[in-house]
Amino acid sequence: MGVAGSYPLLFAIWLVPLAGAIVNWAFGPQLKRAAGIVGCVAIGLPFVATLAAWGIATQSSGAAVGANQHLLSWMPGFDFGLLLDPLSLIWALIITGVGFLIHVYSVGYMWPDTAIARFFAYMNFFVFAMLTLVLSDNFVGLLVGWGLVGLASYFLIGFWFFKPTAVAAARKAFVINVVGDVAIMFAIFMIFAKVGSTSFVTVFAHVPALGNWLFLVCLFLFIGAAAKSAQIPLHTWLPDAMEGPTPVSALIHAATMVTAGVYLVARCWPLWNASHDAQVLVGTIGGLTALGGALLGVAQWDIKRILAYSTMSQIGYMIMGVGVTAYQAGVAHFFTHAFFKACLFLGAGIVIHELADEQDIRRMGGMRLRAPVAFFAMFAAVLAISGFPGFAGFFSKDAVVFGALEHGFPWLYVLGIVTAGITAYYMFRLFFVTFFGTYRGDLDPAQVGVTNPVEPAAHEPAHGEAHAPAWLMAAPVAILGVFSVIAGYVMIGSNSPWNRLFTQTFPSQNLAVPALSEGWTTAILFIVMAAGIAIAYVRYATPAALADAPARLRAESQRMPAVLVRLFYFDDVIDWLFVRPSQALGRFFGSIFDPDVIDGAVRGVVRVNTELGEVVRGMQTGLLRSYALVIVFGAALFAVYYALQGVAH
Amino acid sequence: MHADLLPVALANYVALSSVIFFIGVAGVVLRRNPLIMLMSIELMWNAANLLFLAFARAWLNNAGHIFAFLVITVAAAEAAIGLAIVVIVFRSRANVDVDEIALMKG
Repeated sequence: MGVAGSYPLLFAIWLVPLAGAIVNWAFGPQLKRAAGIVGCVAIGLPFVATLAAWGIATQSSGAAVGANQHLLSWMPGFDFGLLLDPLSLIWALIITGVGFLIHVYSVGYMWPDTAIARFFAYMNFFVFAMLTLVLSDNFVGLLVGWGLVGLASYFLIGFWFFKPTAVAAARKAFVINVVGDVAIMFAIFMIFAKVGSTSFVTVFAHVPALGNWLFLVCLFLFIGAAAKSAQIPLHTWLPDAMEGPTPVSALIHAATMVTAGVYLVARCWPLWNASHDAQVLVGTIGGLTALGGALLGVAQWDIKRILAYSTMSQIGYMIMGVGVTAYQAGVAHFFTHAFFKACLFLGAGIVIHELADEQDIRRMGGMRLRAPVAFFAMFAAVLAISGFPGFAGFFSKDAVVFGALEHGFPWLYVLGIVTAGITAYYMFRLFFVTFFGTYRGDLDPAQVGVTNPVEPAAHEPAHGEAHAPAWLMAAPVAILGVFSVIAGYVMIGSNSPWNRLFTQTFPSQNLAVPALSEGWTTAILFIVMAAGIAIAYVRYATPAALADAPARLRAESQRMPAVLVRLFYFDDVIDWLFVRPSQALGRFFGSIFDPDVIDGAVRGVVRVNTELGEVVRGMQTGLLRSYALVIVFGAALFAVYYALQGVAH
Repeated sequence: MHADLLPVALANYVALSSVIFFIGVAGVVLRRNPLIMLMSIELMWNAANLLFLAFARAWLNNAGHIFAFLVITVAAAEAAIGLAIVVIVFRSRANVDVDEIALMKG
């Protein structure tokens, strides 16, 4: 756990994205499109440095790899430093690697936008914040990064600030995230009160010192993790966050930031190992989120919202994995998910771009001809997210689901298997409806069941603008598609680079052998997944279904269960519990307390003074001679006074 | 008290000073011409000066002389400012009756 040594490029990894953000912020108007190059370079360089670190780390087997560099000391117990151990290395690798591809893609996607420098400034700032989060060697630094990524997320969701929905979504995301920030702050207070330090190494070496606060600390840390990682019941901001530009959804709300909760739990594994209650809590929430997200994904028509719910569901898997102490499996699922989910989002972005910002899959169809790169890449990614054998998601999802059984949580095992089937169904539903059949965008929206068609007006290309070179968007999607296939291969075998990296990070536990072997788990998962795909095929992709697609989609839209359309009523419940009372309180203060009590007091003071003034204003005649007379009388009074004094003596 | 230093009794100085002072007071309170009022104020200054000097002489205390100079200085400054105000007021309106100038009425 304690990592010594140093990595000379660690500071560069951390600070170069910040430099990129500052340059783009300061010189945005001068840079114009060159802002994209600055943004990409500022992420590309740290990526190369991180890749080198990964190379070094995976070569050395067994020995503790990484670096821990001191930055500054604040006061006893608060030492800030950077920590590069296998766990933060994996995150840094995904943040910079997938982040770099998404930056390249963004150059193409944001080509028509006039605020491109602002966009890349925010994106670079986000990467810096995320690196702060994962590279900190103490809880306070982690919390700083935690807050900054929330801020960056707020900026980027509300990037198109002229859309009221985007502003509302940004605000919602920020508020819910701050709930999590505050919870983590309380956890840090408790840790510091008991241990007297915030450094990871010290805290994890003194877990027993937390005593009976251990579960509370875990609970508060997990509230923070749940807010950031969109776990039930703090998940409602994530689908709304899709109002941001698609590359933002891919980078922040799929690949990196929303997995910060997984990182937090994995980072705090000594706490979770020590508290079985926390394992039950986190594992259950994760499993329920996985299932709930998948169910909601079934009922969505907006391509980005389907992906948002699938993100929520997949993060549920990861949280379940780390919650049941199958840390390596949870982290592995983060690793593979980053590739295939980024691929899905970027592919969806190509489709959306192709159709001039149409996002409703009912008005798509036949896109395999118009966006072939997206078609093939997303096919690989859809297979990967479904857990098709040989694809990236297969390795990690199997590990998570089997890990739940292995660590004694059979009900989570069942949840995981059920969710896998639903996942396969709704992802192939998206895939078939979007890419197969014929184009339905020319039809009357009502004919395919769209009752409130949205006029796409986010950013129409300015007239006479040349389009970006197509490869800018196609190449990252293709590369991510390839990784959706091969990313899992680093995990094959007990001597794989992946296992070498993590044997030291997460000590292996001695577990009872469960009744079902891993081979059986794989077989069950495969059958469930195949069933999901088959149902999706029958419903959306048989020749008969394709020929009859508009009518079928319309019928499905009308038959959709209300409980799914209203998203399990979470938004309504939150509305009733928090939003309406807050608004009522606001109205009370706005229309009663403020005008009558606060302003009333002020007005009372004013009225008293006014009336006093009315009384004394008569004395101010403005006549010089009358003033002189008053002075004379005053002087006379003095004279009389002293005369009487003299008489008295 | 060094009465022998004063050829005239101290009471006479006090009486003269009082007379001059009240002439000044009457001038300020009764007259409406600002020039006359300024002159009346000068009278009051000088009544005070006369007292300072008389008592300084009577009690052999030089503080009174010093104060007389201070009073002269302040009186000069006051006269300069007062005359300037009168000139400005005279420029802006034809007559300079102080009863007409009641802009500061509350």
